[in-house]
Order: sequence, then structure tokens, then C-alpha cells
Amino acid sequence: MIEYRNVAKAFDHPVLDGVSLTVETAEMFGLFGPSGTGKSVLLKTTIGLITPDRGDVRVDGISAFHGENDDLRKVRSKVGYVFQNAALFDSLNVYENVEMGISEEELAQLNRMDISRRIWDALELVNLEPRVVLSKLPSELSGGMKKRVGIARAIVGRPEILLWDEPTTGLDPVNTAAVEMLIARLTKELNTTSMIVTHDIEGGLEMCDRVALLDQGKLRFCGTPADFRTSDDEMVKAFIDRAAAEAALNLASV
Amino acid sequence: MSFQAPAERDPAIPGYGLVRGVGRVSRTVAVNAGQIGMLSWDIILATVQLRVSFRAVLRQIYIMGIQSIPIVMVTAVLAGIVTSQQGGYQFTGAIPLYVLGSVVVESIVLEMGPVLTAIVLVGRVGARITAELGTMVVSEQLDAYHSLGRDPVAILAAPRVIAGIIVLPVLVAMANLMGILAGMYAAELTAGLGPESFFYGARLFWHSWDMVYSLSKAVVFGLAIPLIAIHMGLQTKGGAAGVGRTTTQAVMFMTLTILISDALFPPLMLQ
Repeated sequence: MIEYRNVAKAFDHPVLDGVSLTVETAEMFGLFGPSGTGKSVLLKTTIGLITPDRGDVRVDGISAFHGENDDLRKVRSKVGYVFQNAALFDSLNVYENVEMGISEEELAQLNRMDISRRIWDALELVNLEPRVVLSKLPSELSGGMKKRVGIARAIVGRPEILLWDEPTTGLDPVNTAAVEMLIARLTKELNTTSMIVTHDIEGGLEMCDRVALLDQGKLRFCGTPADFRTSDDEMVKAFIDRAAAEAALNLASV
Repeated sequence: MSFQAPAERDPAIPGYGLVRGVGRVSRTVAVNAGQIGMLSWDIILATVQLRVSFRAVLRQIYIMGIQSIPIVMVTAVLAGIVTSQQGGYQFTGAIPLYVLGSVVVESIVLEMGPVLTAIVLVGRVGARITAELGTMVVSEQLDAYHSLGRDPVAILAAPRVIAGIIVLPVLVAMANLMGILAGMYAAELTAGLGPESFFYGARLFWHSWDMVYSLSKAVVFGLAIPLIAIHMGLQTKGGAAGVGRTTTQAVMFMTLTILISDALFPPLMLQ
């Protein structure tokens, strides 16, 4: 379970302004909002990549900011983070990139064979052919393949929680659908709690158990996809209209 | 009565802009010095706690050292030739020509060997480190290290600093040797000073301390170049343009640091 309690953060201007919400265990939670409204910042506060100016974030009751020295490491060991542009390490090949997803403690305990099997399984789970990609550098992969390797790196450590930062941004509609199916399947198969930041509203509403809408750093809506679709809120309506327009545009481009 | 900042109340105070500028620069220098100090402390901790991969250090020694040998050697040879030619031109008919040996050796060992090698490494190694780390910052690779529970200081920073401290003295020693040999041949070809006379002159004014001085400079430069390059790389903001801007600033700061610390060496070590 992830609890955001009155989280506030400002850079040059306020980005998050007292956001409070809870993501339940084994839930798939979607976070929508216009660009620059603090979705990725909220996600990054979860594992202490950004420290909030005010408030607290707790992962299974552990705070990365107000707890013991070791709590940040504990939080990070529970969470797999999928970055917007995969954030693969340029100088490492696919095998070494995915291997980084296994904690140093586990690496010390496992033998080479077990490590290779874990990496192999993770790549197969994201529909990549390990034999083909293992020795490739990130620069030799397509955008869709990079995203999948990024996902494999996030899941290879068997996290209890997966955070997805715009996993379909920059992908064509076919790959977007494929990655969304993958996210839904992985969340179910691995029985993880998932929080996904996405601009693909239609896809997010299909996948998620609950969704929230952030606007100008404040939580504007939080509820089920069905409630979101029937909401009277002007902002929510505008979002749904935009989703319909984007879906039509994507269909035309296919 | 509400408070107004001096600049708004009277921007026409004589010298106000200068004082303000000095204050801003001083604050920037202090902030950066503090951050570099904290980075240094983290690197020391990672090294002492044996969290730095030996393989990563070897890889950086190869990139920073072995791959830099050709350009460092070319620079040293040219420096030796130029010093010898200019000295020969000035000394002919005025001072015993064997003094040229001393001038070439002392110039190369005390000044040109360490400083030119460091300047070459600023461009070849320092700029590369800043651009590499800057790109990692803007592409969220640094965040990825943190999210995976890895320490970027132990993985990225410490191996580069350790390699810099090891590599620079070796390169400077090689540059000194090549510069002296090139200067010796140039003296024979252009001024007619044979190798025996060249080394006779060189020995007249030689102190063993000069080599300690030269290698001490190399150690300081070998620490400063990667440290500043890493610090600047980690400060990168704003995509490709940000990487370019930070790399340019890093080259400027590294060059300035080398020249300023070079100016501080004589009063500290040659008294």
C-alpha cells in the first residue's frame, strides 16, 4: 500500500499542493493530468528520488523521509520503477542492465546460473527473445524494445510495487496497446500493486481499478473508471473528450 | 513604511553593480566548493568501505590513461621542440649554450609537462566525463541507479577520481621524458648542442625535488579534473542544450583551476 499524505513540492513554482491519496495493495491505480501538473514528481517522491517540501509518503507503512536511516533502502527494495524513456544504462548490455534490477544482497547469495535464469525469465515475461537481445547495447534496440528491457529490469527484483512513469509515451498505437496489455498481465501475474502515470486516458481507464486526476498540483478526482466516465466535473469531461479525440486520431494513423 | 531592497531603492549607487557581481560570484564559488567537498567525502567513504569496483577503476585507467598517451606524447614532443628552439635562438652568442639543457629540462619538468598534460586531459577526459554524466542525469539514468538501490558515487564517481589520481602522474612522467628527449634532439639539430653538453647543462641546475614538484602537481591536477567534471555533470539540467552548456562551463572551470593551482605551487613548494 502507498499512502501520500498532504504532499507538497515546489520548484520555481508550486508543482504539488497538498496531495493526499492511498493506493491499496494489489490495486492498479492510474494517475492522469495535463503535462507539468506533478504526476511524475508525485511518483518520484514514492521512492525518494524527489523529497517533498511538506507531507509524507509511506510504502507499506515505511516512510522514506521521516523514518530510520535504512528505511529509504527498504522502500526502494519493495518498488520497481519503470522510467518514461526506459533510462537504460548506455554502457551496459541488456543482460547487465537487467541484472542491475537484482539487489546487491541477492546477487551475493545467488549463483551465476540462478542470476542468468532470473534475467532470462524477466525478458521472456516482457515478450523479448533473450537469445537475441541479451548481448545488445541499448543503442541497438528499438524504442519499444528499450521500454520492455526497462520493464524487465524493474520486475527482475520481484518487487511488491510497480511504478510506471508514462510507459507508452513515444510509442506508436500498436506498441502502446502491446505495452498496456503487458502492464495489465504483469500486474496480475506478479500480483503487484501498480501505479501508472499515463497520458493515454482510454488505455488507463481500461486497465486500472481506480484512477485519479491531478490539476495544477491538486487532486481533482479520485475514483473508479466508471465514476470518472460519468463525472460532472468540467475538467474530467474535458479529459474524456480529449481521450476520445486522441483515440480517433490514433485509429486514423493506424 | 515597507522595506525595499537596495537595488530597487537606488540602483544608481556607484559601484553597486560591481559589489553585487562579486557577491554573486563568491556565493556561486562557495556553493560549488561545498558541493565538491561533499562529493569528495562520499568518494572517500565509498573507497574506504571498498564499495568501488576494481574492474571499473581499471576501465577508467584504460580510458583516461592508455587512450590519452598518443595526444599527450605529441603535445610533450612539440613543447620540448619549441622550448629548445626558442632557448637556442635567445642564448646563441650570449650565454654558454649548454645552459639550454637546463632551461629545457626545468621548463618541461616544472611547468610544461604537468600543465600541458593536464590541459590536454581537460579536453579529452574532463569534457567527456561531464558530457557523459550530464547525459545520464537528463536521461534519468542517475535516478535509475538510485531507484535500483545502487550508489552512483561508488559506481560512477569514485572509479574516475581514483583513475585520475593514478593516471596523471604516470602520463606526466612520460610527457617529461618525451619532452626532454625531443628538446635534446631539437637542440642538436637547430643549435648544434650535442646530447652530452645538453645533459651537462641539465645536471648543473637539476634538483631531485623538481621531479617531486612535477608529480605533486600531477596528483593535484589528476584529482581536480575528474572531481570538477563529475560535479558539473551531476549539476546538468535541461536536455541536450543543458549538457552542452554544462560541458563548456566544466572545461572553463577545470582549466581555471589548473592554472590557479599551478600559480600556487611555487610559493608552496619551491621556497
